[in-house]
Amino acid sequence: MAFADALRALNTMKAERVVEEYAITGAMALVFWTEPVPTFDMDVLVLLPTPPGSLVSLEGIYRWAESRGYAVQDEHILIEGLPTQLVPSPNALSREAIAAAVEVEYQGVLVRVAPPEYLIALYLQPQAKTAKRRERATMLLDLPNLNRGLVDDILRRHGLSF
Amino acid sequence: MTSLDGMASHSELQDAELPSAALLDQLWKGKAALHRRHANLPLREKIRLVIELQRIVLPLIARQRALRSWERPWDIEP
Repeated sequence: MAFADALRALNTMKAERVVEEYAITGAMALVFWTEPVPTFDMDVLVLLPTPPGSLVSLEGIYRWAESRGYAVQDEHILIEGLPTQLVPSPNALSREAIAAAVEVEYQGVLVRVAPPEYLIALYLQPQAKTAKRRERATMLLDLPNLNRGLVDDILRRHGLSF
Repeated sequence: MTSLDGMASHSELQDAELPSAALLDQLWKGKAALHRRHANLPLREKIRLVIELQRIVLPLIARQRALRSWERPWDIEP
């Protein structure tokens, strides 16, 4: 098993319409943009193909995981050996982050990663705002190519601050 | 004066020569350069380092709280 296999599986999940779209977020996304940090799982925001008005369910994802022999451990699916948490987009900010995801190439696999400007905003959401996450948001602020204007715009529109 | 346990006394610490501003500046710049080098590593090397970090921090986390089922070093190729 290889890290690239797990990324490939995310694309397969999308190709098979288990999810409409996805974006890697959290610490693993941070590793794509800045220096490595210790993390034990991969967080993936997903848009589910749910008809309007119906309840969001992870049933389709679990069925897909089972069909491929991926074990479920608590709130994680072990995709090609990588504990992966697939989180249905909970709000407008995360939907924007998924839509704005950037394709990054890893060992020949194109994978969608939330841009640093959106990662900062996701880290600063009240429900996610721990000291560790605020520190990670600060790490991203030091990126040389960060679009600070876009960060300010996202934070303003979603009522977030440091 | 050295205390009974062999450690430097409070007054000795106060009298010790402080690092110069230039030395501190050099250390901070070196630290920043290290962070930049890590940030600019090839992605595959970064994933290899993530797995290495997992092996380092796991025993430290285990000393503080019970590990969750998925908290273990990845058994995968970077």
